[in-house]
Amino acid sequence: MSEAEASERGTVVTERMGARIVALLLVVAATSVFMLWSVNPVGSGSESTFALFLAVDLVSVAMISYVQRAVSRESRLARAPLIAGCCFVLFLVVASLYLAN
Amino acid sequence: MADNTSEGAPREEKEGEERDGMVARVLAWFDSRLGLSYQMLRPAPQYSINPFYWLGALATVAFVIQGVTGGIMMLYYVPDPTQAYATTQYIFQQVSYGTFLETIHLYTAYAMIMLAFMHLMRGYFVSVHKKPRELMWVTGMVMGFVTLGFGFTGYLLPWTIVSKSATDVGIGMMGALPQPVASFLTFLVVGSGSDVGELLRFYDLHVFVLPAVLLVLLVVKMYMLEAHGVSEPTTGTASLPAKKRRLIPIFPDVSFYLIELAALFGSAVILVSVIFPLNLPPEYSAALAGQYVAQPDWYFLWIYQILKVSAFEEAGLPVAISVVTLIFVALVVLPFIDRGKVRSIRDRKVYVTLGAIFVAEVAVLALWGYLTPGQVIPDETAGLVLGGTALLVTLGSVVAYKAVFGGLRSVARSRGSARAQAPSTVSTGRVSSRSAAVWTSATFVCLLTAGAFLIGDSIDEIIALRLGAPSALQSLAVSLSGLALVTLGTAFLLYRLDLGSGLIKRRVRAFEVGWRER
Repeated sequence: MSEAEASERGTVVTERMGARIVALLLVVAATSVFMLWSVNPVGSGSESTFALFLAVDLVSVAMISYVQRAVSRESRLARAPLIAGCCFVLFLVVASLYLAN
Repeated sequence: MADNTSEGAPREEKEGEERDGMVARVLAWFDSRLGLSYQMLRPAPQYSINPFYWLGALATVAFVIQGVTGGIMMLYYVPDPTQAYATTQYIFQQVSYGTFLETIHLYTAYAMIMLAFMHLMRGYFVSVHKKPRELMWVTGMVMGFVTLGFGFTGYLLPWTIVSKSATDVGIGMMGALPQPVASFLTFLVVGSGSDVGELLRFYDLHVFVLPAVLLVLLVVKMYMLEAHGVSEPTTGTASLPAKKRRLIPIFPDVSFYLIELAALFGSAVILVSVIFPLNLPPEYSAALAGQYVAQPDWYFLWIYQILKVSAFEEAGLPVAISVVTLIFVALVVLPFIDRGKVRSIRDRKVYVTLGAIFVAEVAVLALWGYLTPGQVIPDETAGLVLGGTALLVTLGSVVAYKAVFGGLRSVARSRGSARAQAPSTVSTGRVSSRSAAVWTSATFVCLLTAGAFLIGDSIDEIIALRLGAPSALQSLAVSLSGLALVTLGTAFLLYRLDLGSGLIKRRVRAFEVGWRER
């Protein structure tokens, strides 16, 4: 496989991977936005839940933006920031669900 | 991509051939309709895609968040001493997500001040104040003062015992300024002297005057940024690979990068606000104020701690105010003092060491002020702590310069040439430059930690001795012995660094244990 073919293949893989991650993040962001409307707006516990859902949205936006940047520059997606971001989102979702209960 | 867009035309016809993804197609649609990729703003070099280049932008994001949260709070807040606390309490208890709003507003204010300080110090260390960016630096300094003004004026608004007492301390500090300046500033922020006038003036300054001034200064600074572009790395751009020097358009690449930074910054502030939610302190009353030890907020603590040194009490207060004013003036006119063309950290030892001392002293004073509220600091203790900090940082700077720019680099260079000449002679068990770097760093960290601990301990023992505790003499002897060992260890480290670089002038065989001759 030539260098050009490998590069093109890498770009295609990046685009596919990026599309999947973005779709997943959009689902997470949409779910958290929906959850934002379901919490009681007065009270310290519910305020924390609201804040954490908002943080989930923001991290999702940051990750979508990162994927978009990688795709538009036709460079490979680095795994470390994505894994760190996913772990952070997971932590925030678990913490917000814990606080909601 | 930069080449495609640098000519200033929207990419109306180009997207179809390169972009296939759904997100990219949506973006291209908006781009072609709104002309987002039209080069209104100068493209940024790839090397600027680094959070340290965008600290000012993050401070602006914090300012925007404060504008939004402050605007919502303005709907409920009444700037009158009889209602200020009650309306703030109403926001906390009755308004939807009110505590969250208040907490975010406060923490983004703290973040804005911290980011502005980091932006200042980063700029200082990498010499962004040099030609042609002198006026950008001066404008940035004025913006920094406005940011501190935001903190000072906003702190009073809840009318709590903490905020009113701290503001009174600040206003009291203004009295030590020269008479015309003190009169003008007091008139500006206090007016007739009544609580009603004071709160109203603080509110007006916080909500209308300072934001307007900051926005004007921001526009001026952005204009200059467009004219000069982002500063180059201190080592110049010639040594950078072509990929790093490539220009990238503001939209979409830099814009998306800024969105990432802003979103991560927002989520970090939110997380901190969840972990440490704000609690409203009791309402201010003259009776309660007598029992409360007034203390300014953390960003003014270092100045307050200077004023608490006994030499600066009462008659010496103008001297202390003059010293603090001189520091600020020196920072503002820095571009006209430090006019050399050299920007590299390597060749600016004096300025870099002075900057490191300033940062260390500010941190030590702020922490010290936090730990000793309302206490007058004896002159000897102040001299020991501030002098010790300066000495430690200077020592650290000398060692760091030798380690980073001196000894090890020379070792690596000489080993590189030795390897090129006779590869077989190199693998004789000598330490490699990487292990030497690890060894040096570890020794240096241990020495710094031990030195800081022992200086603090010695000061404690000296204070105990002065208070009449003879048993402290023994502990003092132990601490001083430890300090002597640390000094010896530092000399050992410096000697070996000089030995590695081949710059050694006088041999001390006892310090050369384990070192093999080339």
